[in-house]
Amino acid sequence: MKLLKYTIYRLLQAIPVLIGISVITFLLANLGPGDPVSLMLQGQEHSEELVRSIEQRYGLDRPLHERYLTYMAGLLEGDLGQSIHYQRPVADLILDRIGPTLLLVLSAYAFALATAIPLGIVAANRRNEPTDHASRIAALVGVSTPSFWIGIVLILIFAVKLGWLPSSGLIYPWRPPSSYPGISGHLELYYESIRHLLLPMIALGTLQMATIMRVERTQMIESLQGEYVKLARAYGVPERTILRKHAFQVAQLPIITIVGLNLSTALGGAVLVETVFNINGMGQLFVEAIQQNDYQLVMGVTMLLGVLFVVGVIITDISYAYVDPRVTYGERE
Amino acid sequence: MSSEPLLRVENLKTQFFTEAGTVRAVDGISFEVYEGEIVGLVGESGAGKSVASMSLLRLVERPGEIVAGEVTYKGETLFGLEDGPNGDLRKRDEMLSNEEIRTRIRGNEIAVIFQDPMESLNPVFTVGGQLREFIELNRGLSEDEARREAIDMLREVGIPDPEQRYEEYPHQFSGGMRQRVLIAMALACEPSLIIADEPTTALDVTVEGQILDLVDDLQKKYGTSFIWVTHDLGVVAEICDRVNVMYLGEIVEQAPVDELFYDTKHPYTQALLESMPRPDRTVADLEPIEGVMPEAINPPSGCRFHPRCPDARAVCKRVHPEPKVVADADGEPHRAACVKHDVFDVGYDESPPLEGAVDGEGSRRTDEPQSELAANPAGDEPGGDGGE
Repeated sequence: MKLLKYTIYRLLQAIPVLIGISVITFLLANLGPGDPVSLMLQGQEHSEELVRSIEQRYGLDRPLHERYLTYMAGLLEGDLGQSIHYQRPVADLILDRIGPTLLLVLSAYAFALATAIPLGIVAANRRNEPTDHASRIAALVGVSTPSFWIGIVLILIFAVKLGWLPSSGLIYPWRPPSSYPGISGHLELYYESIRHLLLPMIALGTLQMATIMRVERTQMIESLQGEYVKLARAYGVPERTILRKHAFQVAQLPIITIVGLNLSTALGGAVLVETVFNINGMGQLFVEAIQQNDYQLVMGVTMLLGVLFVVGVIITDISYAYVDPRVTYGERE
Repeated sequence: MSSEPLLRVENLKTQFFTEAGTVRAVDGISFEVYEGEIVGLVGESGAGKSVASMSLLRLVERPGEIVAGEVTYKGETLFGLEDGPNGDLRKRDEMLSNEEIRTRIRGNEIAVIFQDPMESLNPVFTVGGQLREFIELNRGLSEDEARREAIDMLREVGIPDPEQRYEEYPHQFSGGMRQRVLIAMALACEPSLIIADEPTTALDVTVEGQILDLVDDLQKKYGTSFIWVTHDLGVVAEICDRVNVMYLGEIVEQAPVDELFYDTKHPYTQALLESMPRPDRTVADLEPIEGVMPEAINPPSGCRFHPRCPDARAVCKRVHPEPKVVADADGEPHRAACVKHDVFDVGYDESPPLEGAVDGEGSRRTDEPQSELAANPAGDEPGGDGGE
């Protein structure tokens, strides 16, 4: 009950943040250089009248604050406006493209967590031994190498040289197998889907893995030196239980924060990785929207990324409150 | 006093192998704990009290290591070395393995109450859950039985509403209440010996008083023995039966508590007593011990206390005193390690005083000890190997 109240409280707190995001993106998209109308008419003979009629059609002739209010009113109804370049509703375009991006980002996180947490624990447990040094170097490389470069190298090795894995595209496990030629049955669909996902997932997840691993190591070392660990040892608790329960639970709190806050980095990385692996996701949509000066689409995508980030932060806060009994749900005791 | 002690520690040495050198944190201490008594381990910070008490459970963390001595508990060897075939030291066969120490000794035979009640409980588990886990582990009870036992114990140590408090987290408890939880934890495992490592140091004075009363009552009720580690002689006077005074890794005086206070033999104990705040003296009247305790990495020659000792003479710099029985209180020995009580052996009385020692200049006066050495060549013998 307390948790539910806290959740609602945090969601209400997010409203001003979202309004702030919308104002800033609206201003940036509309006041930036480049005129969408002339872009649409590129290379064509056009009269003043045509320009005015287009402006009228997209509401570009009205004052800025009016346009903002219209936009926000539409937003509340789920209408993100019309894409100038695609001539389709922005909401439809986003819905089409969000699946692959979410699949990529979530699997990258799954990969990062599944590898980083055990590695971090092992490094902490064998502090200053060869395993620890190896993991430190791996983390350093992971943090300092851009994801698109990792992607290109992975393609070169596993797709071009070895030919083990496909170099581009994604297979979506939620679509019927019949929509892909050469795939019969669900099992093969899942198998192919994983094969396509592996390389982009690693390319995007490496940075997260490296960051999480270092934090996990530091946290575990600190936790293992805690007085409560000394106490557990003095009462004969087996070392394994101490590592897995007593020290581990305390050490996970900052990991939650990292995962939540790094969501923006991961979404940004997805733009690059999608380009490298030729995946038709939000990233590519975003790049195209910017290239085409499709301000309605840019705004739509930016708003969505903003919402995703805010949601990520809220989920972080809520899980923190859930995991750490000391968080007081913003109430005074 | 019964014949066989519950715990016997002989010549225990624990050292830390650091990059700066070997720190001799515990350097050959011996003491006993009998059934049902509270034995004090007293000294300034850094004297090696905590390391000594953790050594008993073999809980010294790297780079620390127990390098010598013997710890016997209820006839079992918790630690013991013997000469190997190649002349090197090896672990004795009857010494308990790490696994045996963990399952049979830690918690269920010897429990610990740590210094810092704020940090000793795990912040992410309920107080009851932690209590229950240790009871289950050390007494082989089922979850339900352990829970019942835990709640009973919380009530026993004076925590109101134990059923409700059982479900709460450590941050919802005050410092004094947490220390009660830690005491409940120790008692609930039904050990024969509890090591209390400065358990009241982090508490304010009124709470400290309550906790001491509580321990006194429970100790009488359960008959558990205690090793009470503290720097506070006031606490010692209140609850201990016998006292060991530690200085720089060594026990310098060992006596029943009344003996120690009324017939103090060692200048260090004397100095500690004089530095204690008392209601009948103002702060200006206090006599703090001059200087600070040196590092155990490079202890002073001879008697380790000599650079700070008001009674130090030239001989003290040279001769390392061994603990000697200096008085007898109803059959209980009163030991002190001070050359003052070795008058005939090393010639303390003839030795010139180390006047500069107390204000820190004594170490430069090398000429006098030289002549002393020449006059008394046999003087080193009692000190022997202890100081090197």
